[in-house]
Amino acid sequence: MTEKILSEKNLVVRHSLLELIEHWAIAISGLLLLFTGIFELPVAKRYYIITVPGLGWSADFITSLYIHYAAALVFTAVGIFHLAYHGFRGEKGMIPQTGDLAASVKVMKSLFGFGQEPPMHKYLPEQRWAYVGMAFIILMLIISGLIKTYKNIYAPDMSLAIVLTATWIHNIFFVLFFLAFLAHMAAIALRPNWPMVRGIFTGKVRLDYARHRHALWIADIKKRKTSNH
Amino acid sequence: MESPKISKISRRSFLQITAGVAALTGMSLPTTVQAGSDTLSTLIDLSLCDGCVDRETPACISSCRGINKHKIPKVVDSIPEPWPRKTIEDWSKKQGVTNRLTPYNFIYVHKAEIETAGRQQTIFIPRRCMHCDNPACATICPFSANHKNENGAVVINPKQCFGGAKCKDVCPWEIPQRQSGVGIYLHVLPGFMGNGVMYKCDLCNNRLAEGKLPGCVEACPRKAMIIGPKKAIEAEAQTRARQMKGYIYGKKENGGTSTLYVSPVSFELINKTMTKKPGQPDMKPDVKRRMVGTDPLGKTVLAAPVLGLAAAGALGWFSRRKEQVKTEEKDND
Repeated sequence: MTEKILSEKNLVVRHSLLELIEHWAIAISGLLLLFTGIFELPVAKRYYIITVPGLGWSADFITSLYIHYAAALVFTAVGIFHLAYHGFRGEKGMIPQTGDLAASVKVMKSLFGFGQEPPMHKYLPEQRWAYVGMAFIILMLIISGLIKTYKNIYAPDMSLAIVLTATWIHNIFFVLFFLAFLAHMAAIALRPNWPMVRGIFTGKVRLDYARHRHALWIADIKKRKTSNH
Repeated sequence: MESPKISKISRRSFLQITAGVAALTGMSLPTTVQAGSDTLSTLIDLSLCDGCVDRETPACISSCRGINKHKIPKVVDSIPEPWPRKTIEDWSKKQGVTNRLTPYNFIYVHKAEIETAGRQQTIFIPRRCMHCDNPACATICPFSANHKNENGAVVINPKQCFGGAKCKDVCPWEIPQRQSGVGIYLHVLPGFMGNGVMYKCDLCNNRLAEGKLPGCVEACPRKAMIIGPKKAIEAEAQTRARQMKGYIYGKKENGGTSTLYVSPVSFELINKTMTKKPGQPDMKPDVKRRMVGTDPLGKTVLAAPVLGLAAAGALGWFSRRKEQVKTEEKDND
């Protein structure tokens, strides 16, 4: 287990290097997929995106497809790796728990100055819901994307019903992915969440912040440490 | 839209095809179509096409226009101006144009005056959608409004098309043509998204479903066009090319197509008589399918789930082993 309290540095290790790599691989490839997905729509010429310095290629659908495929390779491999690896290890920290819905409402209210936040684990209750939502969106994008890729290469005359289903799932979940990304950014913009931002860059968050906001998590780390000795 | 199976083409139609082929070549194609999903192909024999010079309009064009005359609904009186690029393509007041591809004209005939071996030759070349084997226009349509059917026909569904013209951009011959002021985009965000509907030859897919021949094939007075199972048509094209010491176009162009031109004159020479203009494609030999370059990367994407699972398995085993060793060491202490 990577999680460790570094009292002398006032830090606590929140994410392992592997988790950081997974997050940033999905984030960067996801953003590339988002942009090249937009460029697969006939918008670059119409909206003069091609006149933006460095984006002259954006109206070339085949160039966008090269980038889309390259990003999809990382996105799919890392997404499946994440599910399989953490699933096999039985890590459930990000899976919603009983009472998360009510707790999420409490946390949301407290973010806007109404009431107190309940003591929290490593992840906030709404973070767990957001994770499941994002994981579902990503999974649907991966499955529909794989069908579309197979069609592009091997089966242009695939059943129209399958093609239409895959296309519309891909399009609808592309919009949901974009909205989920905006929601993710909005969550980061909220002041109480700022201390967590350094965690996703360095893997560590401030110990005083964690003690205050993630009391259950810190207690859990201490308990594990005691039982190991 | 249900894709018509080749088996739905009537025996009579195929006998007609077969008889035409047999009469012209002295050979015979199978008289019945094997049940199943054999792809269709058309052959356009340029040694037979005379451009219907004795008619006001070539028969293939007249027939095609007759069949498709009600395809485009009434264009709205005031076509919404797209924003910010204000391109509007309105052919509704120029429906009579037959010397190029338009949304109202899916086939036209190019006249090529060519001098070979000191001899002047006139070649007529009917031009329409080639119905490619792996058509980028269909596979990367963002709404799958354009689709390749099992019978080989590449068909745009006008009810789903937003008229973004992506299909035209990725087609090496820029075949699909846009009519603004019609289609689903009018009911969504007409000023910001979409710009009409793309139209092109659909190989008379509905007629094929009814067991009829495509209009151009049926109408050709010189049987310069024939349609049949892809393999048989390819064999027929080879035979004719050999007999006339001629050339084939469409077999390997854009990765292969379901339209094979056979000509006594090389397509390099024919292409020299063509200047690529809107609605008037050229005929560059060996034109490449651009998406072919993306296929290897696409194949690795298809392998990505296995890569992810393999990495998870390997790393999972490694980390479990590490934890086991740690526990054993602690137990030993």
